[in-house]
Amino acid sequence: MAAVQDDATDEMLMVRYQRGERKAFVELVRRHNRPIYNFVLRQLRVPSVAEDVTQDVFMRLVQNAAEFKHEARFSTWLYAIARNLCIDQLRKLSHRRHPSLDQPSAEHSDGPLLGETVADPNPQASAERSALSTEVRSSIVKAVDSLPDDQREVFLLREVANLPFRDIAEITGAGENTVKSRMRYALDRLKEALSDFEEYARALR
Amino acid sequence: MDCEKFDRIVLDLLYDELDELTTAAAKRHMEHCARCRAIGSGLRATREVGALPLVEPPEGMELRILQAEEQAAQLLPIGKRLGRGLSLLAGYAMRPQVSMAAVLMLVIGSSLFFLRAQPGDREHVLVTERGVPESDNESVTVLPKKADAPEPARASRPVPSPRAEEVAPRRDRAPEAKLEAAPAAAPNEYAPAPRAEAPRGGAALGIAADDKELEGNSEPSTDSDASYDAAMAAYRDGRYSEAQRRFDEIASLGGPHAANAALYGAQALRRVSGCPTAAPRFEEVHSRYPGSVGSDAAWQAADCYRSLGDLPRARQTYEQLTSDPSYKTRAKEAIAELDQRVADQELAARRAAAAATAPAAPAAAAKGKPAAASAPAKPAASSK
Repeated sequence: MAAVQDDATDEMLMVRYQRGERKAFVELVRRHNRPIYNFVLRQLRVPSVAEDVTQDVFMRLVQNAAEFKHEARFSTWLYAIARNLCIDQLRKLSHRRHPSLDQPSAEHSDGPLLGETVADPNPQASAERSALSTEVRSSIVKAVDSLPDDQREVFLLREVANLPFRDIAEITGAGENTVKSRMRYALDRLKEALSDFEEYARALR
Repeated sequence: MDCEKFDRIVLDLLYDELDELTTAAAKRHMEHCARCRAIGSGLRATREVGALPLVEPPEGMELRILQAEEQAAQLLPIGKRLGRGLSLLAGYAMRPQVSMAAVLMLVIGSSLFFLRAQPGDREHVLVTERGVPESDNESVTVLPKKADAPEPARASRPVPSPRAEEVAPRRDRAPEAKLEAAPAAAPNEYAPAPRAEAPRGGAALGIAADDKELEGNSEPSTDSDASYDAAMAAYRDGRYSEAQRRFDEIASLGGPHAANAALYGAQALRRVSGCPTAAPRFEEVHSRYPGSVGSDAAWQAADCYRSLGDLPRARQTYEQLTSDPSYKTRAKEAIAELDQRVADQELAARRAAAAATAPAAPAAAAKGKPAAASAPAKPAASSK
């Protein structure tokens, strides 16, 4: 079996996986498990649930691999699956109160707060992001979490999944201009949330 | 570009989804419009500074996903598995390398049909040459001494009779007959009479003899006719020794009478010395002079062999004559007669053997009668 090349596109890897090349699936998981998990986590806000849903996303990929027709981008198809699973999960969670960022995480009642967990997962991961203070990161996360669902969804698909507006419109079923308006509102809310910080304000000038 | 249009494209500009021309127009507009410049720089700063921090997935999640995939693949329906297998095979078959390999194999396979064994893989090659080889005499007679000599090459052949030129029928002659007649000379039946290989007589070798023959052929010599007539006169008068000597001399010198002289010489020898000596001479004449003279000599040789009791050889010579139209009927009759004679001899031999072994006449068998009865019949014909 041929080795998976790093410069192979997602669509090429999907073709190989459709032929039964399991290494291609491994490469797809390696590339997409982190952004999918973050997308799901920002939507559902519960890490354990986000992990299960992320696993379900890739299982849906396995089950429906033969149905992928290569008419759309692979990432568009994968995030459409993730979005649908998130909607299903939100319906299940709608019966109970959304967990607050100020409450302890589900598994460990005496552990770190959810806001702290998502705000500072790995302080040494990125030099660029390490320059921001924990407080700023927490403000960003709070600002994103406080966005309306439709705006947060568009913001996450654009920033986390790095999908173009046209594909986001296709996934959400909204018009491209509507998607751009939602994104514009989300960015304005984020700008307002960060304007309280003097350092950020200087960067904005 | 105006501010209204800039507001519509500002997000595309922020995420680099514009073409180059529109991007350049938007940047030019931002240089002159403070409002749009502030909007653009503010959105860019918000995006750069306020990038959402990504959370690392829980440890072991990737491994669990792969394990779940492995289990799910095993639970796939057989139809989907076969489909994947076929898709995998089709994917390999459609690769350019496979296609080129298939074309290469096709080219090689088709070229095998055009390959043939190369010459030289055998150590020995047997070549059979057909045709009449040129003789040395012909090379000499290319330049006739007299301008009016008609066809010198053909004239140089000592043809005893017109029938001697019937070369084609002679090609069917059995080669062993020629070897028996003149094994040392190994004469070519198609070539002219090789005087240099004449077994007897004072034949001269070389150009001198050829020149003499040429003179005799191109201008019929009265001397040779006289010699031939004298030899014939001696033969008719019963002076066979003299006749043989004269005929041998004429035959050794060649000329138009050489063939007949050789034949009469052999017949004279038979009169003088009998068949044991004359039979090889007839064979020699037969092999040296194709045509009617040779056939006559063969007939005489067969008659000698029959008279000597050498029936197999006689039969063999008769069989050679069956290819000559003038002797065909007679030769077949002679062969039938010989076969009958052989059958009679075998029957007599069996009867004698039966009589010798019979218990009723042991005494008679012991007195030597069977020796005469079992002996082969003596040839009735005289050797002279």
